[in-house]
Amino acid sequence: MATGPALVSILRQGPYLIASIHTALDDSQLIRFQKDLIDQIGRYRSRGVIIDVAALDVLDSFGSRTLRNIAEMARLRGALTVIVGIQPDVAFAMVSLGMGTGSVHAALDLEEGLEYLDSRLPAKDVGRAVSAPG
Amino acid sequence: MNQEHTLTDAVAADFPTLDRQDEHQLLPQLVAHLRQHRTKLRQEWATRIHDAHLLDAMTPQEMSTETTSVYDNYVEVLETGSVEALQHYARDLSERIIPRGVETHEVVGIVLLLRDVLARSLFEKYQRDFSLLNRVLDAYEPAANRIANTVAVSFVDERERVIRQQQDAIKELSTPVLPVRERLLILPIIGVLDSERAKQLTEQLLTGIRTHRAKVVVIDITGAPDVDETVANHLVQTVDASRLMGASVIITGLSPEIAQTLVTIGVDLSKMNTIGDLQGGLEEAERLLGYTVARRDGSGG
Amino acid sequence: MVRRIVRARVADHPAADDLVQETLVRVLGAAERVEPGMLEPYAIVTARHVVASMWKEQDRQRRNQHRVADLRLPDAPDEDLLQGEDRAAVAQALKHLSERERRTLLAHELHGQDTRSLADELGSTAGAVAAQLNRTRARLRVEYLLALEHTEPFSDRCRPVLIALSSGDRRRQREVDAGRHLLECDLCARLSHPLLARGQSRDDELRIPIRADADVVLARQGVRELAARVGFSGTDLTVIATAVSEVSRNIVRFADAGEVVVELLKEPRPGVRIVARDTGPGIPDVERALTDGFSTYHGLGLGLPGARRLMDEFAVVSEVARGTTVTMTKWCQEG
Repeated sequence: MATGPALVSILRQGPYLIASIHTALDDSQLIRFQKDLIDQIGRYRSRGVIIDVAALDVLDSFGSRTLRNIAEMARLRGALTVIVGIQPDVAFAMVSLGMGTGSVHAALDLEEGLEYLDSRLPAKDVGRAVSAPG
Repeated sequence: MNQEHTLTDAVAADFPTLDRQDEHQLLPQLVAHLRQHRTKLRQEWATRIHDAHLLDAMTPQEMSTETTSVYDNYVEVLETGSVEALQHYARDLSERIIPRGVETHEVVGIVLLLRDVLARSLFEKYQRDFSLLNRVLDAYEPAANRIANTVAVSFVDERERVIRQQQDAIKELSTPVLPVRERLLILPIIGVLDSERAKQLTEQLLTGIRTHRAKVVVIDITGAPDVDETVANHLVQTVDASRLMGASVIITGLSPEIAQTLVTIGVDLSKMNTIGDLQGGLEEAERLLGYTVARRDGSGG
Repeated sequence: MVRRIVRARVADHPAADDLVQETLVRVLGAAERVEPGMLEPYAIVTARHVVASMWKEQDRQRRNQHRVADLRLPDAPDEDLLQGEDRAAVAQALKHLSERERRTLLAHELHGQDTRSLADELGSTAGAVAAQLNRTRARLRVEYLLALEHTEPFSDRCRPVLIALSSGDRRRQREVDAGRHLLECDLCARLSHPLLARGQSRDDELRIPIRADADVVLARQGVRELAARVGFSGTDLTVIATAVSEVSRNIVRFADAGEVVVELLKEPRPGVRIVARDTGPGIPDVERALTDGFSTYHGLGLGLPGARRLMDEFAVVSEVARGTTVTMTKWCQEG
């Protein structure tokens, strides 16, 4: 990964991609993360994307915007995105800043995120996509 | 008659010159007199309470019951010298009348009235023997004052206890995130929401969502008297922030008037899940939770 | 070379507050009784002495020590160079002192005359004399540094700014807009280092230069750390960090250079003030920039209005072609 393993990791799990941000990212790192993630969604024809932002110290306008962009681009490539791990104080700051949730779905943590994707995607995708042509 | 001695000693301490021998005979005499004229004296007392507009919060029926009890307790203290029973009664009475808004001055007022009614009756009875009257009053007054004191203190104690209890309840209410069942929280908003408190509530709710892993939150605003633009904006923010933590929010207790106000000031209610009352909100919450489970079961199998 | 020496001598030792001033004063004082040829070595020795004593002694004690100079000559070649530079700098700086300033300073620092008796002689008050002494010391430090750099200020704004920094007078610094001048003037930015480092280093202030994306992260982490000390809640710390993130990003996007200064407040209650200033193109229409949805880059147009919502107080001053200063404050919740 171009951003290096220390900052973010993107793991493939069946039809899903699980992207974890491990530390505070600056804007250019966020943009690289976005590019890498979108590339991998295309490469693996992922049906669902979980972005774990638990380690982010803030989600300001740019960070929120980037997450929305990723979700939108993922949607255009046929993948559903869920953001997990937003901390209570970060959520508070985001809404105080004026950032709504938009259309991006958020879940409490990884487990919840997986459950959400499972519930939203047709069973055949979830159950068989691992061996699906790709 | 040990108890009588107690009272006598107490009185003697206050009036060291009093003749102890006299005293022994006087109090039983006095008590007998008050028992004998119980109905008339109690009635007179009740009338004076009424005239003084005290205890207006009580019905005539209640008045009759309570004044009888107070009267009997009163005489009993004079007889036994022990205020213990009176104390219990006074606390019990206070507990019953404090929620009805009875004030300290009313309680003190009625006890002083009783003291005066009885003193007057003693005056009438003994007015022909002036020195005897003096000795009777010497025996009666300290005991009567002690009774008034006991009742007043009991009332105030009880009042303070109630206030403390209410304060604790309010304190609890300021952290009112109630886990109702698994994955479901209720946040009843009670009282005036200023910005500071709204912020606190939101913080507590968000922390609660994480602690209880809540998926649905019911915010009940039945107890919020005014929902103005500021409060509405806080509500919207709280809903959004909860969503960011993966929890859906249902708002209950939104009256048609308040809904109208919100629409007028430009709050987009369509973005909010609102349900008339708390019961309906809880049902909807259960449905959401059940729905989620059903879908997962369906897709997982 | 010169800068290295200045740093080695002044900036690296925050306690070396009065190094320059003390040296000058002692040399000046001695000029009346030391042989002309001995003046320079005397200056060097005195300087070293003053430095050494500063590390060891408290202010007031220090003032009355070292009346007698140790006139041993230095031996290391590096020190010789230093001597030469110091010598020239001393001579240069002297020219900028008025006769009256010099006399008063000497009487106080060297002869130990207190401000009260000085005030009596000068027909002034002790407080006014003390203030005058402080200003004189501040000027001495500035002139000494300018002399060491072998330069004269580029503009007539430089001296007032440097003297304000040297005196540590924050009100005066704001009046002359010192922060902005340091962004615009390389010379003063350089000279400000030893001036700002002198004296007690402030642990309730943080200055973060903003040039690149990574600095935005540094700024929000820095403000979070500092603000935590006055008792902000975790949520408030995140709120403040988010606001700092927004205003710092604006600097990176729109300006070549800028800085974020974080200052802890105690009055009227605990809080934090953040000043973000840049030397960018400025905002032609501040009102509009504070309107939601107005954005000139790929943000959400939430930068400034968002930061304003997050903070308790918020002000933007902008001048086209010169830059923008955002000042914002957050107060601690009571209780």
